[in-house]
Amino acid sequence: MANVAVEGRGLRVPGLGSRRWRQAAAVVLGWLAFFGVWAFASQVLFDPNRLPGPLDVADAMGTIIGSGDVLTHFSSSLGKISLGFGLAVLIGVPIGFLMGRTRYWKAFFHDPVIVAGSIPGITYAVLALVIFGIGLEGPILATALISMPYIALNVSAGLEGIDASLMTMSRAFRRPRKDVIRHVLVPSIAPFVFAGVRLSFALAWKVEALTEVFGSSKGIGFMIRRSYQLFSVVDVLAWTGLFVIFMLLLERLVVRAERHLFRWRPQETSA
Amino acid sequence: MSTRAATTLDRAAPARRGVPLPRRVLDALLSDVGARITSYVVFLLGWQILSALYDRVPGPIEVVEMLVDEFQRGVVWDNFSVTADRFFTGLVFALVAGLVLGLLIGMWPLARALLKDTMTVGLAIPAIIWALLTALWFGFNWKAPVLTVALTATPFVAVNVTQGVQAVPRDLLRMSKAFGVPVGRRVRLLVLPFVMDYVFTGLRFGIILGWNGVLLSEWFASTEGVGWQARYWYDANNFTGFVAWVVLFVGFIVIFDRLILVPIQNRVFRWRTTIARR
Repeated sequence: MANVAVEGRGLRVPGLGSRRWRQAAAVVLGWLAFFGVWAFASQVLFDPNRLPGPLDVADAMGTIIGSGDVLTHFSSSLGKISLGFGLAVLIGVPIGFLMGRTRYWKAFFHDPVIVAGSIPGITYAVLALVIFGIGLEGPILATALISMPYIALNVSAGLEGIDASLMTMSRAFRRPRKDVIRHVLVPSIAPFVFAGVRLSFALAWKVEALTEVFGSSKGIGFMIRRSYQLFSVVDVLAWTGLFVIFMLLLERLVVRAERHLFRWRPQETSA
Repeated sequence: MSTRAATTLDRAAPARRGVPLPRRVLDALLSDVGARITSYVVFLLGWQILSALYDRVPGPIEVVEMLVDEFQRGVVWDNFSVTADRFFTGLVFALVAGLVLGLLIGMWPLARALLKDTMTVGLAIPAIIWALLTALWFGFNWKAPVLTVALTATPFVAVNVTQGVQAVPRDLLRMSKAFGVPVGRRVRLLVLPFVMDYVFTGLRFGIILGWNGVLLSEWFASTEGVGWQARYWYDANNFTGFVAWVVLFVGFIVIFDRLILVPIQNRVFRWRTTIARR
């Protein structure tokens, strides 16, 4: 936020109102440019059949929303993601805890976690399909496996970053274990956990959709796959648009929760 | 080095708990190398158990045999050279485009206004969408995979470069402006050194996601390459062949990451101890 104010040139009075207005204008301008380039590419560079313009796509999105398909498929995807992500937290936090506290477990889990973090999503998607068929377990497990390493790595990084003198002091003053956990451990790991959650949640969304493209009977990825098989670029773009909007809204929600939780902090530590 | 660790280790240790273990063996098992070896053994055991539970999952030995076969047939190098060609072409494009966009967004307020939200949208679009769209647009040829890699990786490089530019100390920037340092020198001597570490972070993400993108694109729209070969075995219902190729393309990215990227990044990042370092 501060950067915007610094970069303005000239003798402008940096009043709050003018800054807000400028920012809003910039955002509108950005979106106009985005849609303008898109429309230009659609009408002039390609033809509207190969790349439908923004209005056609908006129309298709309207139809999808009107038919109520959005709700059924998004709730289906969201359910699978939540379960998979919950699973990832349940597995990832203890692993990260062990990695952060014990040298043996750090060495033990280091390679698997690093490798799991760089495995391409297509691997999980197809393996899930091979093992589980088109059921619910595939997407859930793929989501869990892709997000787990990032959560584990961030928890362990958070634990390693704990101020050692705080721990020594708590011990010297004989604070009960419960207090140490509540007032020292949790506040120091929380920002790292959030950074991990934000990163892996974006990945989880994508892999979940991918798994549905490969094998599912419901959900947003399944609809994208169906549009692709019908050679309908408009519908692929419309579902993508809805997917992106939904993902950005959810992300904003997470960021807002993070700000709310860490409002006592002078500066954010998350990367 | 806790006692907790010792109890779980018994799985891999030849001796049982009641028998007094020679001290040296215990030390070796509890060392870092011992822990790593144990983790690989546990992984292989888990794989074996999984293949026993599900008959569609091939065991490690079958997969190794299949891999030997594939290497002997000579298809591995052919397909990898095709895919690597596409992958690196797309990656170079993404690196250049991402660097230019990132620098523009970071240094020029108007460019930020115009492009920032577009980049956010770009980050949110999964590689599969690009793979499918380029397949619909270009059909089965080299353009689809190259473009998929470029479009997937560019926003990640750009966003990281932007963050790097914003990490450049404002005072130094303003001072160099005040003393009339030309833009070229300002970029080369002040902005680029700060940006380099961010470029690597973005590049690593771009590489991991771009590799996924090229495989997806080849899976859907190609008749050669690593992704196509994996699909070939998948369509033939030969899951041993499929898993063999999974091992190959996971192996490629892990080796590439560990042997090339991490050493470079660790050199750049040696002064830092944050979560950015893995």
